[in-house]
Amino acid sequence: MVQLRLPKNSRVTGGKHHPAPAGSGKTKTFKIYRYDPDSGQNPRWDTYDVDPTQCGPMILDILIHIKSTVDPTLTFRRSCREGICGSCAMVIDGRNALACLQGHDDCKGDKISIGPLPHMPVVKDLVPDLTLFYAQYASIEPWLHTETPEPRTEWKQSPKDREKLDGLYECILCACCSTSCPSYWWNQEKYLGPAALLHAYRWIIDSRDEATGARLDELEDPFKLYRCHTIMNCAQVCPKGLNPAKAIAEIKIMLVDRVV
Amino acid sequence: MSFRTPLSQARGLGSAKHGVGHWVSERVAAIALVPLVLWAVYSVLVLAPLDYYAAAAWVSDPLNATLTILTIAISFMHMQSGVRVIIEDYIYSHFNKAAALLLNLFVSGLAGALAVMSILKVALGGA
Amino acid sequence: MATYEFIDHRYDVVVVGAGGSGLRAALGCAQAGLKTACITKVFPTRSHTVAAQGGISASLGNMGEDDWRWHMYDTVKGSDWLGDQDAIEYLCRNAPAAVYELEHWGVPFSRTEDGKIYQRAFGGMTKNYGEAPIQRTCAAADRTGHAMLHTMYGQSLANATEFFIEYFALDLIMDEGVCRGVTAWKLDDGTLHRFQAQMVILATGGYGRSYFSATSAHTCTGDGGGMALRAGLPLQDMEFVQFHPTGIYGSGCLITEGARGEGGYLTNSEGERFMERYAPTVKDLAPRDMVSRAMTMEIREGRGVGPKKDHIFLHLDHLDPKILHERLPGISESAKIFAGVDVTKAPIPVLPTVHYNMGGVPTNFYSEVVTKAGKNPDQVVPGLMAVGEAACVSVHGANRLGSNSLIDLVVFGRSAALRAADILKAGATQPELKPAMSDWHLDRLDRFRNANGGTPTAELRLEMQMAMQEDAAVYRTSTALASGVKRMQAVQAKRGDLKVTDRSMVWNSDLMETLELDNLIGQAVVTVVGAHNRTESRGAHAHEDFPDRDDKTWMKHTLTWFDDKTGKVKIDDRPVHNFTLSKDIDYIPPKARVY
Repeated sequence: MVQLRLPKNSRVTGGKHHPAPAGSGKTKTFKIYRYDPDSGQNPRWDTYDVDPTQCGPMILDILIHIKSTVDPTLTFRRSCREGICGSCAMVIDGRNALACLQGHDDCKGDKISIGPLPHMPVVKDLVPDLTLFYAQYASIEPWLHTETPEPRTEWKQSPKDREKLDGLYECILCACCSTSCPSYWWNQEKYLGPAALLHAYRWIIDSRDEATGARLDELEDPFKLYRCHTIMNCAQVCPKGLNPAKAIAEIKIMLVDRVV
Repeated sequence: MSFRTPLSQARGLGSAKHGVGHWVSERVAAIALVPLVLWAVYSVLVLAPLDYYAAAAWVSDPLNATLTILTIAISFMHMQSGVRVIIEDYIYSHFNKAAALLLNLFVSGLAGALAVMSILKVALGGA
Repeated sequence: MATYEFIDHRYDVVVVGAGGSGLRAALGCAQAGLKTACITKVFPTRSHTVAAQGGISASLGNMGEDDWRWHMYDTVKGSDWLGDQDAIEYLCRNAPAAVYELEHWGVPFSRTEDGKIYQRAFGGMTKNYGEAPIQRTCAAADRTGHAMLHTMYGQSLANATEFFIEYFALDLIMDEGVCRGVTAWKLDDGTLHRFQAQMVILATGGYGRSYFSATSAHTCTGDGGGMALRAGLPLQDMEFVQFHPTGIYGSGCLITEGARGEGGYLTNSEGERFMERYAPTVKDLAPRDMVSRAMTMEIREGRGVGPKKDHIFLHLDHLDPKILHERLPGISESAKIFAGVDVTKAPIPVLPTVHYNMGGVPTNFYSEVVTKAGKNPDQVVPGLMAVGEAACVSVHGANRLGSNSLIDLVVFGRSAALRAADILKAGATQPELKPAMSDWHLDRLDRFRNANGGTPTAELRLEMQMAMQEDAAVYRTSTALASGVKRMQAVQAKRGDLKVTDRSMVWNSDLMETLELDNLIGQAVVTVVGAHNRTESRGAHAHEDFPDRDDKTWMKHTLTWFDDKTGKVKIDDRPVHNFTLSKDIDYIPPKARVY
């Protein structure tokens, strides 16, 4: 049966409280998931009081501020800080988001919780293990398949055909969508998840690609594709405003088109 | 802990290369059930004030009998189909899953067949 | 010292970094049958190439006549004649083929009505040797780098490139002047790895994070440059740091030059399109160094906008919202999130922001690392190559033109692979590594891991960033640079007093940031020392006490060595190549750089 409780060694306990330094202005409290694999201890929720006027407006600014001034052991992935690299995906205030695009003012409540992406193995603190997610992406063969000899210049593509890639190619592989999907939670070993399927569709619909049929063959599977139950969490959380559920629906329609 | 490569894990058993049939049939059944269920609600209202003999006579009408059989048969098929997805979603062990899927199929099949048989009996036998 | 043990690997080629140039090099090497590993501290699609917006230059001529010679002329002029013209010829000639290759791999370029790759105007790109702006920059909306990086990663998967992801490279394994490999720390389990290779290719990007405000990602810490310096190799032309004219005021996030390429323009507090005064021919499409200086000048003279009169407006509000949606969707979103501006209605507040390092590990156009040995300024360092922003080929000279970096990545990533295939034999025997070659890597790691001084990493990093920001800015003076040298010397000396709190080995980001800081500091020191040394103004190095270019004294590349123990910098120079690769074009002699 599906596991509804975390295993014993993963249950989160109460942690340390870090008050703001004396002389701080009005503070906000951030409740952050901490897990240190070296300690052998269960994960814990540490709380930090932060004066948000001391740093930038985004959750990532808060995390960097905490790491720089309060607790250098706090660990999270980050890189571009402008929402294009997809490193800093985490669950913020109960919702998957990029820390660099999520303003702390836009979070409800006085105590904002920040944890690693749900239902993934945690390596440390806010760093999840995304190996399987990446492998699923690789499994849909995210590259152009052509057999016709390449032209001397570019493959021609009309602006209209190119437009079909909009809303797809912008994906940054942050994993917000897949890890927000209950179907992916329960069946991530068999269901490809919204991100991989969105990419699959990106190549299927590319007018230059010559492997549409083979790609559809690979997807037609009760688990790989049809575990999508149109729950739509993926579209709700995508920080780039993409709609993986729609891409998945398009694949399903194409599969019907083949037989009807 | 598994030592399979991530790609091998992601590919799993490969594509079953089916699923579209199941997906289409689920939707076709759902669409068929919309008028059928409306009709069934109407029928219940019609049947409610009738006594046993009048109701039996109503059922023996060929149109009423056919529509009743269709409603019941498609409902059970649809139910079986939906419960199957739920079982696949949440039950992982081979044995439990197979047992649950069989149980689902047999219970739905038996209940559906019984219902259809009963209607046929009333419709054809003139109880 | 705690005991550390290496896990050994042996490859023909090891590429360090998986951005555009690293992926291209790794891909090429793998395709050539060389056993290739690509080690990277972030998952490949998180590399900073992903943030490149505007496009990739190549004289395809899709929007009207074009010629690689025109491209070459623009690049030479853009570089303020400090670029090596043999390398620039190699770049511009091979650019179209490189773009077609990317397209064949599947990059979703924007299209013209007749189905060709769409090209837009960019700063400093002109037709017929400087006559008027030209559309030469191939674009995938304003997400070209993202589209390229994801496509190239996909192509690497297609070619089964071997990746070592979230491995942090520590140091180069040097054996009497020959590079034999590289050591790395695997973040997710804390193990240490020794990669032996016939060839190491550094593709580690720039060191933008040595400044306080940069468009660069947090991970742009120039780890390859740091490793090269510790290996006793020089870096070249480090004083040339490009400021991008349009970083969003406050956050420093990038607004592509393509915004001006599509018709956007800058205004001061008087609403004046001031670039018309500074560059009458190309106006807002002048090269980045000139636009950044013009903006700084306007602000200095009291014509900045905003309550503090300390920034400039970039207008897109006159453009058709449909065009904005189609060609500049990404920056429209960035402006909304980071400046709260709806670009269809209001201008974006912008400021020149550190963006690119023209300097780096010196290489020839085969991408082989060179150093100066005795009288020979082109002595190849066997076993080592460098590509991309980490390298200094030098095609960008004193100032890079926008969209020339993406083409640099793929052209020289490819050239590195071709050269490696040429000079290496797959599976050739490699000499045994001696512990002494890498023991010091472990000493350094252990020293920082247990650093227990009085200066937390974040504090010293901030001190460095402020020093660089204030003393090595758009405009420089002897006084500021002297102060910068002093401040950076103080910073580098404080490396001995660092404090690291996390002592673990698994994903110890405190330690990683410290190692990155150490890499940054070496490069920041040579940057400011190099800048102080160069008493002229050229390209991005605008020296107020020496406002003119001085070809007689300074038509040369700066070489800087950094002594990691003492912090002392040694300066030398290399001649700028005053020859081209072929007879198809003559050396373009220096002249006044006006647009």
